[in-house]
Amino acid sequence: MNHSFLTTGPFEFGLLMRIAMALLCASLTGECLRHFVRLPRVSGYALAGLVLGPLGLGWLNSEDLPYFRVLIDLALALLLFELGIHVHLRWLRDNPWVIASSLIESTLTFGAVFATLYLTGSDARLASSIAAIAIGTSPAVIMRVVAEIHAQGQVTQKLFVLCALNMTYSVIVSKLIIGELHGVFKGDWLIAVIHPLYLLLGSVGVGASLALAFKLLRGLFDLSDEQGVPVLFGLLLLTVSALEILALPVVLAPLLGGMLVKYLDPRPHLWPRNFGTAGAILGTMLFVLTGVSLTWNGVAVGGLSALTLLAVRLVAKSAGVMLLGPVNGLSVKQALALGLALSPMSAVAFLLTEDIRTLFPVFGMQVGSIVLSMMVILELVGPIAVQWSLRYIGETRKVRI
Amino acid sequence: MALGIFTASSPLTLGVELELQLVNTHDYDLTSSASDLLRLLTKNRKSWDVKPEITMSMIEMATGVCESYSDVLSQLEEIRDGIVGCADQLNIGICGGGTHGFQHWGEREIFATPRFDQISDLYGYLAKQFTVFGQHVHVGCPDPGSALYTLHCLSRFIPHFIALSAASPFVQGHDTGFQSARLNSIFAFPLSGRAPFVETWEDFGQYFNAMVATGIVKSMKDFYWDIRPKPEFGTIEVRVMDTPLTVTRAAQLAAFIQTLVRYLTLERPFQPRDADYLVYAFNRFQACRFGYEGTYIDPQSNERRTLSEEVLATLDKIELHAIALHADDACASLRRDVLASCSDAAVLRKEWDETGSLSEVVQRQCLRWRS
Repeated sequence: MNHSFLTTGPFEFGLLMRIAMALLCASLTGECLRHFVRLPRVSGYALAGLVLGPLGLGWLNSEDLPYFRVLIDLALALLLFELGIHVHLRWLRDNPWVIASSLIESTLTFGAVFATLYLTGSDARLASSIAAIAIGTSPAVIMRVVAEIHAQGQVTQKLFVLCALNMTYSVIVSKLIIGELHGVFKGDWLIAVIHPLYLLLGSVGVGASLALAFKLLRGLFDLSDEQGVPVLFGLLLLTVSALEILALPVVLAPLLGGMLVKYLDPRPHLWPRNFGTAGAILGTMLFVLTGVSLTWNGVAVGGLSALTLLAVRLVAKSAGVMLLGPVNGLSVKQALALGLALSPMSAVAFLLTEDIRTLFPVFGMQVGSIVLSMMVILELVGPIAVQWSLRYIGETRKVRI
Repeated sequence: MALGIFTASSPLTLGVELELQLVNTHDYDLTSSASDLLRLLTKNRKSWDVKPEITMSMIEMATGVCESYSDVLSQLEEIRDGIVGCADQLNIGICGGGTHGFQHWGEREIFATPRFDQISDLYGYLAKQFTVFGQHVHVGCPDPGSALYTLHCLSRFIPHFIALSAASPFVQGHDTGFQSARLNSIFAFPLSGRAPFVETWEDFGQYFNAMVATGIVKSMKDFYWDIRPKPEFGTIEVRVMDTPLTVTRAAQLAAFIQTLVRYLTLERPFQPRDADYLVYAFNRFQACRFGYEGTYIDPQSNERRTLSEEVLATLDKIELHAIALHADDACASLRRDVLASCSDAAVLRKEWDETGSLSEVVQRQCLRWRS
């Protein structure tokens, strides 16, 4: 008899099965951390990613990443658009010290990381590429942890803004360096100048279109309830695909779009935080997937430098924030907490590294071994640092869990 | 603690205190930023009187001793501009209104001072429910006897003050149907309500000492009466008003009270009696619930009329005193609002109808507060 309705082996872990396992393991680990030791769920997601990835069981590896790229891009676009809404350009105008503080913090970070690498024998190109990526704080970690512990207050607010700003610098500087690499590796100096310019202006253009489209949709739909989430998903997915067609970085345009929305229309723009349940699924995958790109080889090459750089980066960021803390209206305690909370690195750093790796595979491997090692440590520890800092200065609400 | 002597102050001088809401500019919920704002105000070395209040999402601003309506208004405007400037630097929104439309009391934090901690321990969740925002007006009295006389005479005008200031229709995300729902939070306290009917400072001292002896109160601050004497300032303090949406309105209310006190103390149009208080709770409830549309029962004649008729009649009676105090513009403006049935509560309801979002209502409150 022909049982053609039965599958005929061999059985293997298909992509769908692996996604399912990743989601389940990540959620379980996250809940366990939250429930038993009161640590942030996102640390659990990253831990699951590490265990499932090449460092652990090997169920997922970097070859799967292209399939997931659109998930990562969409998850980030959603989070960055929401972050942009929190960044009030009017406030930055009223209190320019915030921008000054951000510039100092970022410059110190770049300088310190660059100097450490350069003095320990790396060449200037490698040092500057890594330093540029190290400027940025992970918006994904910050947004998720803040939502999870219901943090609000001055430090949380400045954390959002400094994160948005330093991430922007990080992307811009990184792209400028890529431009320079074009010149060095391919001898094409015209591209070296025009390409970064195109990336910037293009991002501004797409961001502005996104803001206008949002304004239009807000007139038609009530975006503040659950029904608004599909509309926003559609809008952001459209943005991501437009960015892909135009070969623009996925992170700048949604952030600028969010900032422009709030600037043009200071009314509250509300929707379920982090885009509700659907946003939570994407967010979970984001943290799992950034864990799977690390290999033992990478850790062996970059692990030690990564540890040193993390310490240097933490000191630089804290010092940068402390320097202008008082004029910014922060107490010493608050400035200290803010510096610590700026430490996470995550998906944006990952994407920047990937971009370098796609263009310059060999050089990209060198950058990757160090950046990814830093990132993995921070994916586990960074969320805890954010949670601890915000709790330390009393900006978390006491919510039963 | 003994009651202490009543410090004399010049008659008809005014002092105004306003409790303000601190909100974030993202979803316009209350934000626990009082200490940040106060630190910045101190750093800018401003001499304004701005104090913390019981929860971290409130501050209180106060004028010095004022002579007239214009004096109150200019002081309030100056302090408001100073606070708004600092709040802008911190990206905090400041607004008036008697309640925050959609805050959840469970999320409030108590400002850590010994007194607030003690209140919080005693009253439990009531202390956090107490996140309501009022206007207090002090009127100077030359001696304790005239203070108590004025206090009891003013009691029949409490509904007027409530209706004219009502700015708290929304509580915990819902329309309560009240014009001033804020006072419902205050009535929950066992020592709220009215002062006992005593007319001399000796009798008042006896009452106070008896209450202290029971262990129920320690100082005058433990009485949450609608009007209470403040012996150390030499004033009586009217405490039933919601913080209005603008400082202009707050100054007009102070001017109205000042004019009334002048009328009461110079003309002595009636002698207060304990029996006047029979209709007190009824009238006050009507004012909270229905505002100008509420029923007012005259405590002496037991006649019924709407509160708007009563307020207009009162404004007529005190007109000459308003002119004498240069408060006639303020009273005329109040009259126009009564005639147009326009109150801050009505403004808030209209904005809710327009926007369908309490967040946006609060955002507009912040804009209104700056104007």
